[in-house]
Parts: sequence; structure tokens; C-alpha cells
Amino acid sequence: MEAESEFKEYYAKNMRGISGWFKVRAYTIERWLYAAHRITGILIVLFILAHFYSTGWHPGLWWDALLGVIVTFHTANGIRLILAELGFAVGKPLLIKKPSQRPVSIEGVQRYVVVFALVLFIVLAAIWAYYAIIVQPMMG
Amino acid sequence: MASEEAKEYVLPPEVLEETMRASEELWKPVRKIKFRIYKYNPKKDYAPHWEEHELEVSRGMTVLDALLIIKGEMDHSLGVRYSCRMGLCGSCAMMINGKQMLACQTRVLEAAGNGDVVELRPLDNFPVERDLAADFTSFFEKHKSVKPWIIRNDDIELNNPTGPYKQTVDEYARYYQFTDCIKCGACLSACPTAATDYEYLGPQALAQAYRYMVDTRDDGLDVRIPIVDTEHGCWRCHFAASCSDVCPRGVDPAQGIQLLKRLLIKRKFGYKPHKPAEALPAKVKAEKKE
Repeated sequence: MEAESEFKEYYAKNMRGISGWFKVRAYTIERWLYAAHRITGILIVLFILAHFYSTGWHPGLWWDALLGVIVTFHTANGIRLILAELGFAVGKPLLIKKPSQRPVSIEGVQRYVVVFALVLFIVLAAIWAYYAIIVQPMMG
Repeated sequence: MASEEAKEYVLPPEVLEETMRASEELWKPVRKIKFRIYKYNPKKDYAPHWEEHELEVSRGMTVLDALLIIKGEMDHSLGVRYSCRMGLCGSCAMMINGKQMLACQTRVLEAAGNGDVVELRPLDNFPVERDLAADFTSFFEKHKSVKPWIIRNDDIELNNPTGPYKQTVDEYARYYQFTDCIKCGACLSACPTAATDYEYLGPQALAQAYRYMVDTRDDGLDVRIPIVDTEHGCWRCHFAASCSDVCPRGVDPAQGIQLLKRLLIKRKFGYKPHKPAEALPAKVKAEKKE
């Protein structure tokens, strides 16, 4: 009986739960970045726990490069978020709107900031991968 | 004389014919579209189910038009909330093919795209009232909790006004965009943070808080800061910007929340955006009349 009422409550509340973080279809690119930021954040916390247990432990050659992808994405997107939260690159409120006005905060300067964050991510991830895959094995 | 002037404005017959033809074409059935509609009554049903109806749609037909035809001719028990039919009341927001939209402002063919199915669900992250209607109680409570009204300390002026409060166009432009909110709930429904945090104030309430905090007539900045500067307040927003993406009125709540964060940070350093505006002296009014 209790299971039944819980079942009913689930449909009556209609909350998406964690699946809501990853419902990216039909929205703008910021939604993808949000989902990726969440995943990379959780993975970094998991790595840090292992890192606390043994600071000398590293996942290994290719996994190290993957760790780089996770960390550099979180960094690059984090810079974009800090800029936005300080009120930069989100535009000014409008006094005059077009009939079907698209938001200034995502279609204005923010577009360039997104591209900048993605380019920064690729550059940092490439440098990290170079060190993890080529330089570190040479150092022994 | 008047009749001669009026004659000038009569449309030439060929233009009139063209207009009539265009209008007929707009309402001529062009395609058969299948509507998948979410049916659920929390008081009766054990679980929701889907019902399908096929309808001949025209180019000008909105989703709400189609729903009213379905309700009138096919399924009288369909629960749908609507009022103005022109995107002003914010009653008919629903999930149309997985995205929050106003049923009255979305054309069926536009929503269907190349496919021939239109899927209709009640708004995500809102309790279901019945079928396509969502329960907005908590949404309105969140809106109310940010004190969306002018707060002032001069009670005498407020209760016995001597004139309107002074405000320039630039000061008006700071908050005008956010006053267009129709409280349709699309933004809170689209917010990924609201999907897991039930107490999160949401884009609508936070944008409204910002709207009143930067209004020069208002003096309630420090009253509202403890409300929005909390765990479930503006710091929960991580700028997924879906609220602005789905807003049918171009309110851009994501921008409002980021500017609110900036305002809160500045306030920590002692900055205050404005002094409360003074009332224009009644004399000016009297002089202008003369």
C-alpha cells in the first residue's frame, strides 16, 4: 500500500530529478556545458578522494590524459561562469524588444565567451595530454 | 467630406481578393497531425497514460486551437488551462515536443517540424493538477517570498502621495525588461537546478527580486538580500540559461540572476545602486496645468 502511494506521489509531483540535469535536447549550448560541468565536477571529487588516500596514485597513461580533459573542461567553463556571475558578458537589460525577442544574455557577447572557453579547454587539454602521454613516460 | 475621405481607405478589389485568398489558405487543412496527449488525474488514476488523436491542421492553427477542437469533438474530459489565447496571461504553458512553450503562441506545424507527431505534457517540475494543467501554488509562493512590491520607508508619502516618484528613462531601462513577466512557469520548469532542488526560488522569483532591487523608487534592497542570498537563492543558479531560452516574453531571467549576483557582491563592499527616488513636487503638476 505504501509503495502504491509513493508511486502515485511520484507522478503527481512530476519532478524530473537528476535526469533533469541531462535533458539537453532542444535547449542551447549552455545547457550542454551545464551538464558537462556537473559530471566533471563529480568526477573530480571522486578523483580527489582517491588522491587523498594516496597522493602518489595516478590512474595511468591514457587515463591521466582523460583526467586532464575532465579538469581542464571544469577550469575553462568555470572561468566562463565566474565572468557571467560577476555580471560580465551577459549584456544589459533591454528597453525596446522585438516581437519575438531572443535573450541577450545567451545570444550576445556570451556566444564569444562560450567559444573562448571551448578553445581554452582544447588548448589546456592538449598541453596536459602532451605531458601525460609523451613527457611523463620519458621522465620515467 | 467625411465620406470622400473614407472612400480613399477602401482596399482596391484585387488587393481585397488577394487578402481573402491568403486568409483562406492560412485556414485550409494541409496535413494530418497525430497528437499524443498526457492523461493523468492524480485523485483517480494509478498512473498516467497517453491518448492519441488525429487532426487535420491548417498553417495558422495553434496548439491551443487544436486542443480546443480535441476537447470539443473527441475527448471532453481533457484538462487544459487557458484564458487569453494571445500570450498575455501565461496560463497555457506546457511541454510541446519536450520544450516549454505557450500553447497559444505555437503553431502546430511549427512544433511538428518535419514529423507528424506533437507530444503534449504538463510542465516538468510542477505538480500535476490534471492532464495538461500544472499546480502553481509553490511557484506563486516563491514569487511572493521575494516581496515583489515597492518597499519604502516614508510611510506618510506612501499613504498620502503628493506626486509621482521621479525616475529617468535610464533608470527605467534598468528594470523594464523584467516587468514583462507573465508568470507562465516555463522558466522554472526548464531549470535543471529546479529539477533536484525543490526549494530553489527559481528564475522567475529571482529575476523579479532583481527587478525591484534596482527600481529607483524602491528602498528594500537590504530587506530582500537575506531572502535571495541563501543556499536556495541566487547562488544555486549555474547559468544553464534555459530559462531565457524558453521565455515566451523575452524577459531573460538568466541575465537578471547574474546581475543580481553582481549586485550582491557589490553590496558586500558597501555599494548601493541608488537612493530612493523623491516624489515630484505637486507644484510642477499645478504649474503645467496652468
